[in-house]
Amino acid sequence: MSATHLIARDELRLMARNRVAVIALVLLVLLTLAAVLSSWSHQRGIAELRMRHQQVAAAAFKAQPDRHPHRMVHYGTFIYRPLGALAAFDPGVDAFTGNSMFLEGHRQNSANFGDVRQSSLLVRFGQLTPAFVLQVVAPLLLIFLGFGVLAGETERGTLRLLMLQGVSRGQLVRGKLAALGIVALIVGLPAMVGFVAVVAQPGTLALPMAAIGLGYALYLALWVVLILLASGFARRGRDALLALLAIWTVAVVLVPRIAPDIAGAAVPLQNRLQTDVAIARDLRQLGDSHNPDDPHLAAFKQSVLQRYGVTRVEDLPVNYKGLLAMEGERLTSGLFDRYAGASFAAQTAQNRLVDAIGVLSPTIAIRALSMAAADTDFAGHRRFLEQAETYRYALVQRLNRMEAKNVSYADDIAEDAGADRRKRIAADNWQHMPDFAFIAPSASALAAAALPGISILGLWLAVATLLLTRVTRLLGARQ
Amino acid sequence: MPDNNGNPIAIHELALAYGNHRVLDGLSLTVPASSITALLGGNGAGKSTTLSALLGFVRADAGQIAVCGIDPGTDADAARRRIAYLPENVALYEHLSAVENADYLLALADQRQDRGTITAALAAAGLQNRAWDQRLGGFSKGMRQKVAIAVALLREVPVLLLDEPTSGLDPRATADFNALLLKVRDRGTAVLMVTHDLLSAADVADRIAFLEQGRIVEDVTATGSERFDIRALHARFQVGVGTRAA
Repeated sequence: MSATHLIARDELRLMARNRVAVIALVLLVLLTLAAVLSSWSHQRGIAELRMRHQQVAAAAFKAQPDRHPHRMVHYGTFIYRPLGALAAFDPGVDAFTGNSMFLEGHRQNSANFGDVRQSSLLVRFGQLTPAFVLQVVAPLLLIFLGFGVLAGETERGTLRLLMLQGVSRGQLVRGKLAALGIVALIVGLPAMVGFVAVVAQPGTLALPMAAIGLGYALYLALWVVLILLASGFARRGRDALLALLAIWTVAVVLVPRIAPDIAGAAVPLQNRLQTDVAIARDLRQLGDSHNPDDPHLAAFKQSVLQRYGVTRVEDLPVNYKGLLAMEGERLTSGLFDRYAGASFAAQTAQNRLVDAIGVLSPTIAIRALSMAAADTDFAGHRRFLEQAETYRYALVQRLNRMEAKNVSYADDIAEDAGADRRKRIAADNWQHMPDFAFIAPSASALAAAALPGISILGLWLAVATLLLTRVTRLLGARQ
Repeated sequence: MPDNNGNPIAIHELALAYGNHRVLDGLSLTVPASSITALLGGNGAGKSTTLSALLGFVRADAGQIAVCGIDPGTDADAARRRIAYLPENVALYEHLSAVENADYLLALADQRQDRGTITAALAAAGLQNRAWDQRLGGFSKGMRQKVAIAVALLREVPVLLLDEPTSGLDPRATADFNALLLKVRDRGTAVLMVTHDLLSAADVADRIAFLEQGRIVEDVTATGSERFDIRALHARFQVGVGTRAA
């Protein structure tokens, strides 16, 4: 057995004989398993709930009796974002962004303008997920188990004892690295095994799962190297512990908490109230698409009459009110898209800034990587919103088109006793409406989204390893 | 490669300073195989620094130093593989038992021994058998010293360096230790011990060298059945320490 193996084995023996270390390790493994199970149960519950609500909403829409199509536009429907299997590992921003939308005419509802970045890591302390355990708790445990691996040898005087047996500095550091690496493996493995077991479909999601696995392996390896670095640099274990706790506090708690605030200050985002007021103001300029004689829509009316070569809307071969509703929807959607686009652009700029700050904190990098691969990040949320809006617009315009084609203008403006009956169209029109189907990104796209985070962590690990080789050369020289 | 003339320890005109403070100033000393040399001197005479230089923990500014022909300043790992060292303040692993400590350290030195050999060495070092499998956390200084002595003796190397080896031992254990040391010498080991204990040195050493201000000022070799003139040595030692202190 080589000296490196012997040193690693002895370090593990030391930890195994330390009752506090064993209890802490067992507690962390239990915590991880609890996180896996609770996250899985929570995710499954949410997924089933959303699916059930989606079915109820679709059934309610399709069960509507004969109605005027525009009544259906205002009746609207609910859609829910289906939760991907990987959300059981890292639910990301899902809990903070909203996941259901009420789709109706003239409006873009729900979380389109929500402040996604408010959901910082500090807020997420309440969420027990495998990702949280690995990102926040596991490094802390590794610090408590490993701060003395080298500093303790220096402090006790056993560093010289080892060297006197012919152990080189490199063998010593590699042995300690291997021991702490095995501990990191014990810490990380339950989460990963639970993750694979819970997802239970590695075939389809193998790539993003591999990206997540690689990301967390790099993250924990980085902490192992950082712990060795501090422990090798400090002369006393206490100094190493204090330094490592400071690094943990800054990298895991402070920077991830401050980064969104910095991004929020650098790229201001209008809040919901400000946005609603601005939209209401702009909507007034667009006119009322329910009123065929609205002066703001006079130009549209003129263009329609010209196109059909008639002088009165009553002479059109289609229902002008239906055409007007389509035009109104086009205009209001354009307006909403503009505001949503501005909000998305601001949030994207904020996210870029946070990612840039992430170069300073491996925790931001792993968090971004983890959420991106699990499709629970801001990009995934935006994907849902955009698909929902596309669906909403198509649904509303389809109903407006039905009004234009299937309801006569005369009936549409009539107010006699039987008019309401004549304005209605058959219920089977709603029954043939297509359902909302969220198109999830491909596995390769999810894995690719994790690449920047993997690169940052790889860079961190390379620099830390380089510094460790330097500290290794100086080990014991300052006694 | 330093010229050692076949001596496991060969030091020639060694000079070493910590900043402006000169610790070794032209020290020359050889320790042949199968011999015990005691290096005596007052505090700050350079005794521990001499051992540190042999172990490769400090590098000399001038002169030559060799352990079995290897300069520890340039290849400390190779030199250390030929040395067993017993420090004054024994550092061992408290989470391991006496046997486990010996087993671990011998395995690291690639000189693994079976349990029987280890326990025999522990017994020879004076450690009672009920303590063999106890963790060192509850050991006294003397008990730790005995474990370290056993490990040093089990290292079958040509050079044994001892730093105040009997400082934690009672008179009976000191006598046992000296007897052990003679056995080690007789198997061909070159032993260099630095000590304040003149009587113990005179009892076991073949040669006593007095170190003052970083150089050997007197070198006495045992002769005949009387070995050393203790009275003369004592007087010399007192003068040396007194001069140094002044």
